Amino acid sequence: MATNMQPKILVFSTEKISDPALDLAGLLKKHYPFTVYAISVPCSSCIKSRWIMRAYEKGFSGVFIAADGTDCSYGESCGEKTSQIVTATHQLMREKGLKPSQLKMAAICSVCADPFVKHITGFMKELEKLEH
Amino acid sequence: MKKKIGVYVCHCGGNISDYVDIEKVKEAVKDQAGVFLVKNTLFACADSSQKEMVADIQNNDLDAIVVASCSPKLHVPTFRSVAERAGLNPYNYVQVNVREQGSWAHSDNPEGATEKAILLVKAGIARAYESEALTPAKIPAINAVAVIGAGVGGLRSAIALADMGTEVFLIEKESSVGGHTAGLGQLFTTNIHGEELVANLLSEVKKRTNIKLFTNAELVEEKGSIGNFDIKIKTGKETLSLHSGAFVVNTGFDSYEPEKGEYGFGESENIITLPEFKKLIDTSEPGNLVFKGKTIHKIAYIYCIGSRQDLEGNNKYCSRFCCTAAIHSSILVKNKFKNIFNFHFNRGIRAYGKQELLYEESSKNSDIYLQFSLDSIPQIEKRRSKIFIKVKDILTAGKELETDADLVVLVTGMVPRKNDDLEHLLKIPVGRDGFFNEIHMKLRPVETVIDGVLIAGTCQSPKNILETLNSSMAAAAKANSLLTKGEITLEPTLARVNPAACNWCGKCSSACPFDAIIQTDYEGHKVAKVNASNCKGCGMCTPVCPFDAIDLAGFTNAQIEGMIDALAES
Amino acid sequence: MIDDKVNTEVADYDVLVIGAGIAGEESALKLADMGFRILLIEKEPSIGGKMILLSKVFPTLDCAACITTPKVSETARHPNITLLTLTEADSIIKESNGSFSVILKKHPRYVVEQDCTGCQECETVCPVVVKDQFQFDLVARKAVYIPFNIANPRIALIDIENCMLCGACEQKCPSHAIDFTQQEEAIQVQVKSVIVATGFKLFDPIHIERYGYGKFKNVITSMQMERELAPTRPFNNILRPSDGKVPDKIAYIFCTGSRDHTVGNPICSQVCCMYSTKQAQLLMGALPLADISLYYINIRAFGKGFNEFYMQAKDMGANYVKGKIASVSEKENGNLVLRYEDIASGRVTENEHDLVVLSIGLLANPEITKVFKNITLETDTLNYIKQPDLLQSPASTSVKGVFVSGTATAPMDIPDTIMSAGAAAAETSGYLKQLP
Repeated sequence: MATNMQPKILVFSTEKISDPALDLAGLLKKHYPFTVYAISVPCSSCIKSRWIMRAYEKGFSGVFIAADGTDCSYGESCGEKTSQIVTATHQLMREKGLKPSQLKMAAICSVCADPFVKHITGFMKELEKLEH
Repeated sequence: MKKKIGVYVCHCGGNISDYVDIEKVKEAVKDQAGVFLVKNTLFACADSSQKEMVADIQNNDLDAIVVASCSPKLHVPTFRSVAERAGLNPYNYVQVNVREQGSWAHSDNPEGATEKAILLVKAGIARAYESEALTPAKIPAINAVAVIGAGVGGLRSAIALADMGTEVFLIEKESSVGGHTAGLGQLFTTNIHGEELVANLLSEVKKRTNIKLFTNAELVEEKGSIGNFDIKIKTGKETLSLHSGAFVVNTGFDSYEPEKGEYGFGESENIITLPEFKKLIDTSEPGNLVFKGKTIHKIAYIYCIGSRQDLEGNNKYCSRFCCTAAIHSSILVKNKFKNIFNFHFNRGIRAYGKQELLYEESSKNSDIYLQFSLDSIPQIEKRRSKIFIKVKDILTAGKELETDADLVVLVTGMVPRKNDDLEHLLKIPVGRDGFFNEIHMKLRPVETVIDGVLIAGTCQSPKNILETLNSSMAAAAKANSLLTKGEITLEPTLARVNPAACNWCGKCSSACPFDAIIQTDYEGHKVAKVNASNCKGCGMCTPVCPFDAIDLAGFTNAQIEGMIDALAES
Repeated sequence: MIDDKVNTEVADYDVLVIGAGIAGEESALKLADMGFRILLIEKEPSIGGKMILLSKVFPTLDCAACITTPKVSETARHPNITLLTLTEADSIIKESNGSFSVILKKHPRYVVEQDCTGCQECETVCPVVVKDQFQFDLVARKAVYIPFNIANPRIALIDIENCMLCGACEQKCPSHAIDFTQQEEAIQVQVKSVIVATGFKLFDPIHIERYGYGKFKNVITSMQMERELAPTRPFNNILRPSDGKVPDKIAYIFCTGSRDHTVGNPICSQVCCMYSTKQAQLLMGALPLADISLYYINIRAFGKGFNEFYMQAKDMGANYVKGKIASVSEKENGNLVLRYEDIASGRVTENEHDLVVLSIGLLANPEITKVFKNITLETDTLNYIKQPDLLQSPASTSVKGVFVSGTATAPMDIPDTIMSAGAAAAETSGYLKQLP
């Protein structure tokens, strides 16, 4: 059932690793809420805080970073850098009265379709509770 | 800002249109900023649709196009090429995934799938609206390939590459080449001996001066990207630096090692694995088959050990080669030794293709085949120093049958070889079955998502020698076709500094793992500059700038935030 | 470039690839990317082989058209590939210097290729109706026709044997592209090497009388079912031929024409277990209430992802029954009764179904050997192109400079074909590079 009441989640996926996992979920017909939208970038360490903040500003309830973890082909420092972005963004979120739990990050490998669906469905439930 | 965007919404032969209301999508997006035309197609990727797009672009002077169809993994090169043919810069084309992340992911909710498709297409339009023309740079590529592993696959990859004019570094971890095959006697199909095959391949390798073979060698360091990899290999005490343009990974498999107690393994010395059995029959003198002082007449083979673990266990896959290998061994043993009786306890014989003839031959040899399923596996019992195997045989409608056996052969499969160091170095993705993962199982079975890293042979999935050779040569052909032109075209989605906003704090330069950011002068003050040939386009440098003076081409603030705004719309 | 004018003066190519199915295309593309000049010929009016006619592929369930059309498109566009359709090799002679003199026969389309826009207006006025071979006789087509929706080139042709020569199409064609004066062209070329990628033949189950194919309307082949399931399908639903009813008790008979000495094909066709499982999954999706029973000897789900795919089909409710079908008989209402020994119970059993699909096997297609005039392209005992050095150079044949790719060597699925084609490209390239 299409509804305007369901929270929106913005997913940042990575072109080579986590986006294929999202594709695999679709291929295997593993369903998840439809108000989950992905923007694919080369590496999760390139995500700017200002993009995340804009998402909340414009009406997204949650942002999920589907990170490369140790799979990242751009190197070891990816994980650390992505965490730093999350920390910096949490600070900005607190200033705006947003809960840190509205920003999530998890390492999603290229075949991690099930973990992705699990994460995102859980996240959606959390956000639904938050709204009520 | 683009003023004339062409939007194409694909049906994908029903894969999208069966769930997403295409007309509704078209209607919803036609008035977005910059949209000039909106069309739907049955198959956007079909030649006729491509021709139409080219004509549309040329006749209407479209300055950007959006294709809403399947995953970008499939057709980005196809539509980039459409743009080029029409005289449009390929980076003014945006792909929107309304299939894998639209109709398929939400096939349980067509209304929802349609709503999402509308927003995804709007986001694609917003991205196209802010897109820029980008020109790829070309860098010289080294026509050399590092082949990792010198089993029959690696040896053949090396020979193929050398013959095509590519320099080869053949890197083998062990002290000798040939992998598993070197120790095998007669191989199935041709009955050539494994040692002979390896010797032939090695002699071909030695004939070619453009193959350098390193044994006792391992890859220890790797830097760079396709066309230009700087690698270090360690051979004994020496560390050598080499430069290659690509890798062909031929690291092979490991044999499944049964657990203690698995069908009595390790509890009785007359229960051995298939490789051990093969060695036994290859090295024993003809006449009577003797094992540990006992003359062997009755041999029981238990199939699918370590494979098709449907109930418990990680190996859900079929190891593909073992039915044929076991049957072939059973024919060899019967031909070479006296008074042999073979009993095959199997879960369905998978001697596929021409190998069916071996199954036929073994049946004609009076071998006995009994079939079991996982809910009623053969029971091994030791009674009065004899091994008995009892099973409920499917082929006789579940009758319980028993035989004694002098030797039990556990037909063990292939498992992914532990290659943690290599995986780590080359970042080779691993599939759900534990073997290396290719980009697309059907169409791109030897390529990985890491440009320049190709996988071949059993490290990609279980297969026999013929299949390994085909796969290895296919990888060699692909590697050669990438490098033979002498140059690689770089993706132009690289980092860029806006010198007017930059104050040189050095943060971006420190963040870059590839030394791609240097300091330079701009109108009297120091600013950062990106060295395009080192930049990998990861964007790690972009969030750290306190002045937001650096961005990634193709992923600008205007583009990403335009997409966010469009997706947030209710 | 597609259907370029190859003039009758002798033209020179590095490689002649015979057959533009997925094997021929893949070999041609790899070699073209390496810089060689390729002449790719295809006897049908469209390239894409059997793959482009499939519905979805196992085990990924990608739509076959979606993954074939980009390859087809890339092949048609590649600057180093000259593509000729409706063209066969008529004679190949090996010269003393090692190269090959080839005479090609280009059959006339009776349509001017550059002028046809694929509008299909000609089809609307043609009075002749014949069976459509690309839909495997499920529906009819006209004598002037576009082979199928996603054909490449998407150009019409006239089936002159069935054409009445009434000229209605000529009058209707807005581009005046119909040309009844076209004749067969003989084209002479010199090539340095040849790749045989002629593919396979499908087993014709008419040879197994007791299955009733050709007699009982509701016994169809898997290829016909494939067309019913494909996106460019003839009907909007899955229908059975006798009365157009949507079936709800479908049976698959595995190993039709394979593992069977009585029809001269003792080997396993390698792909049928999987394609039948794939069709079963698609049918369970399209007809959720239907019962699908698959009568098998063994389930050969050996490749990457295959076993998991088979388990998935079982989970979805596909009923796999071990037992070889002895005979099929027909009831008055068009239903069929299958008689077999049910291995699980050990008893002879009969089951009724409303549609029977025969999982037909793949056969060798050795006609091409006749084309080699002064040398012998050897075949093996099963009539496939012989690979004398199987475990060292699998793409080499009994003739130096002639290579083989894909199902011309043995039954195999798509990924194995792609790898075999890559190997053929590697060996051909190596061979060409060492020529003086």
